[in-house]
Amino acid sequence: MTMSPQSTNRLATAASVALEPETTAPARKRRRGVGRLSTHVMDNRTAYVMIAPMVVLLGIFVWWPLLYSFYLSTFEISFYEEPVFVGLQFYGYVLEDPDFWHSIGIGATYVLYTVPAIMIIAFLVASFIRTVGRKVAGLLKTTVYVPTVVSAVITSVVFVFMYRADGGLINWLIGFVGLGPFAFLSDPELALPAISVPGIWLAFGITTLIMLAGMYDIPQSYYEAAQLEGANFFQRTWFITIPLMKNVLLYLLVTATIAGMQQFELPLIMTQGGPTNSTMTPNLFIFNQFKDPTPYATSFSLTAALILFFVLGGISMLIFRLIRSDKAIDA
Amino acid sequence: MHKRISRLATAGIAAAAVGVMLAGCTPASSNTTEDGKSKVVFWQQKFEDYQQDWFKAQVAEFNKSQDEVEVELLVVPADTWDQKLKAAQAAGKAPDVKTTSYGNVKPMQASGQIADLSELMDADAFDDIAENIAPFVTVDDEVYAYPLLVEPSTVLFYRTDLLAAAGIDAPPTTWDELVDDARTLTTGDVYGMNIGQTAPDLGWSSWGLQYNVAGDFPLRGDWSEASADDPAYEDLAKFYQTLYAEKLMPQEATYPYADCSFFGEGKVAMSACGSWALGQLSANPDWAGVWENTAVAAFPSSDGDPTAPTSTLGGWTLTVDAKSKVQDESAEFVQWLLADDTDRLVDFFTATGFSKYPARVSVTEALAATPEAADNPFLATITEDIVPYAKAEPSYPWDVSLAFATSLEKAMRGGDIPAAMSEAQAAIEDVIKKQKLAGTGSD
Repeated sequence: MTMSPQSTNRLATAASVALEPETTAPARKRRRGVGRLSTHVMDNRTAYVMIAPMVVLLGIFVWWPLLYSFYLSTFEISFYEEPVFVGLQFYGYVLEDPDFWHSIGIGATYVLYTVPAIMIIAFLVASFIRTVGRKVAGLLKTTVYVPTVVSAVITSVVFVFMYRADGGLINWLIGFVGLGPFAFLSDPELALPAISVPGIWLAFGITTLIMLAGMYDIPQSYYEAAQLEGANFFQRTWFITIPLMKNVLLYLLVTATIAGMQQFELPLIMTQGGPTNSTMTPNLFIFNQFKDPTPYATSFSLTAALILFFVLGGISMLIFRLIRSDKAIDA
Repeated sequence: MHKRISRLATAGIAAAAVGVMLAGCTPASSNTTEDGKSKVVFWQQKFEDYQQDWFKAQVAEFNKSQDEVEVELLVVPADTWDQKLKAAQAAGKAPDVKTTSYGNVKPMQASGQIADLSELMDADAFDDIAENIAPFVTVDDEVYAYPLLVEPSTVLFYRTDLLAAAGIDAPPTTWDELVDDARTLTTGDVYGMNIGQTAPDLGWSSWGLQYNVAGDFPLRGDWSEASADDPAYEDLAKFYQTLYAEKLMPQEATYPYADCSFFGEGKVAMSACGSWALGQLSANPDWAGVWENTAVAAFPSSDGDPTAPTSTLGGWTLTVDAKSKVQDESAEFVQWLLADDTDRLVDFFTATGFSKYPARVSVTEALAATPEAADNPFLATITEDIVPYAKAEPSYPWDVSLAFATSLEKAMRGGDIPAAMSEAQAAIEDVIKKQKLAGTGSD
């Protein structure tokens, strides 16, 4: 969806109005002999000084490690002998490794299982919370937030017990309708869906709260006007809530997708990537490679991590492109 | 190599591992203590509780015995060991002395990570190492690790009461017999057999059986060519597949292979497990009923030949880091702990409940003379029927074992066996090419 030309014009006007005093004010203070150019330089200098700390910090903690990692990935790294320069050899190894792509596929499948569910459940729950009174809403907000503060490690362990074929809670429950028992975590078909359930449980709470915050930002008058026009709940949701929350939804979609692709603890603890690699997410794959004591494994896992960085960046860009993001058109 | 990874025990991994990878974890250390002694950092992988107790007591005694060297012991959980070690190596803070499995000695030697002990210790310390163990730690006449113990990775544990009740008078001696017995023993609550079922467990627990069925591992000779397409391995895959598909074994890996809890809890009538399970089973008071009826035998061979190997001989050594600044002091500690006093080791092996076996001739002799050894009903079976025929663990990279085991797992869970084996073949060929293994094999 794109913005209408009208709203773009309105924004442009608003922006120029907002900028106007800034462009005139320094002009009045201009000292004799100092030209227009130097004012720009002065302005720029101030700006540079203000952003400098952030640039330095980003440089130290983001860009330098990243560039250094790229540099290192061109070596077969040994901590004991001279590293051997191998150029882009490890990139080739990772890119042609079927297990790496298999893990990307597993990550993508996990995203497909979890992200739509998280988004839909969170949207429904947030819509519901918005309609209830302040006290009940407070209680519900706390309740849905609880899974977020539970550690993924503990959740994994609890779900392993719940999934057990002998005496697990879930098999006990489905036993009442004559199904099972299923060895959820030992069946290559069932293991990934089984891991997705705690994945959804852990993420939907915080997603709900962010959506709720977005919903509270929409002026109540819009809904009242729509109601007067005879719009029902679904029409109000479709024509008011969703368009006005586009940026919030997009943010949640991208972060949930990236977090899903990077899922690590759940498969590590619940299945160790098995059975038959059916839950081997990309990060778990890289982690397992890293463990080997050979220089090959070190360089391979580093390179795979860097390639994953590009894959995730690509996925984020793709989502941003598919759902074009604009500034909020909220008045 | 014990990969004692349990799903539940992995609980600590995530947090620890991430922390380790980010921060390199070990606190900054110098090589001298505040009172001027040389400091030797010793990492011990966490095993059964009595082992930590023994190591702690020995380190305290060593530190008290002289005033030149101070050993600092750190017990590291098995699940986080590999990552923590690698992070420490990357940060230049690798431990001076560490426990190392036989399987890792040669790969670590090849990448220059461990010091040549024959330069650092008295020559006669090496003469006492058992003849069949010495090759595990020796490369070109140089010794890179001092062995502590050996333990067979595959032993058949069985319940005498359940076998008798089912009319079976002796443990199985062939795979067919084992499968038949498992069918007879599988009842409503109890599975007939338990054996490794996940790729990380199959990777090492099936080494002995791989050797048994094909006379060698899937990567042989000088490691130039993969042999996973040897048709003999199809029999091995079929063996696992039958046990799993006919539901003669637990269908869920609630416990990993190294943990013999299925047997201890009475959920299986027979179980493959390493000899270390004797220590686990005897130590748990809740399992006393099972323990009273427990017997052990050599794991059956495919054709019934009792001299064919079905087990590898895993175990642990101590190595000194190649970059350690206190190599002499480190070697002095290793010598004091493992190579000097036989009584110190006799105490250790007695504490293991005879679930582990000495790597030194003089310790084996001293141990055999103790009354505890004479009373132990399992010692003879393991030392006479299993250890002499067990093979060394392969020293090729774990990737090879894991590739083979992943195919084995696929076959086990109902996959097409020849297809799974050709997948393993291709995966191992890939490892040979990329890790440049051709020609580096030692036999």
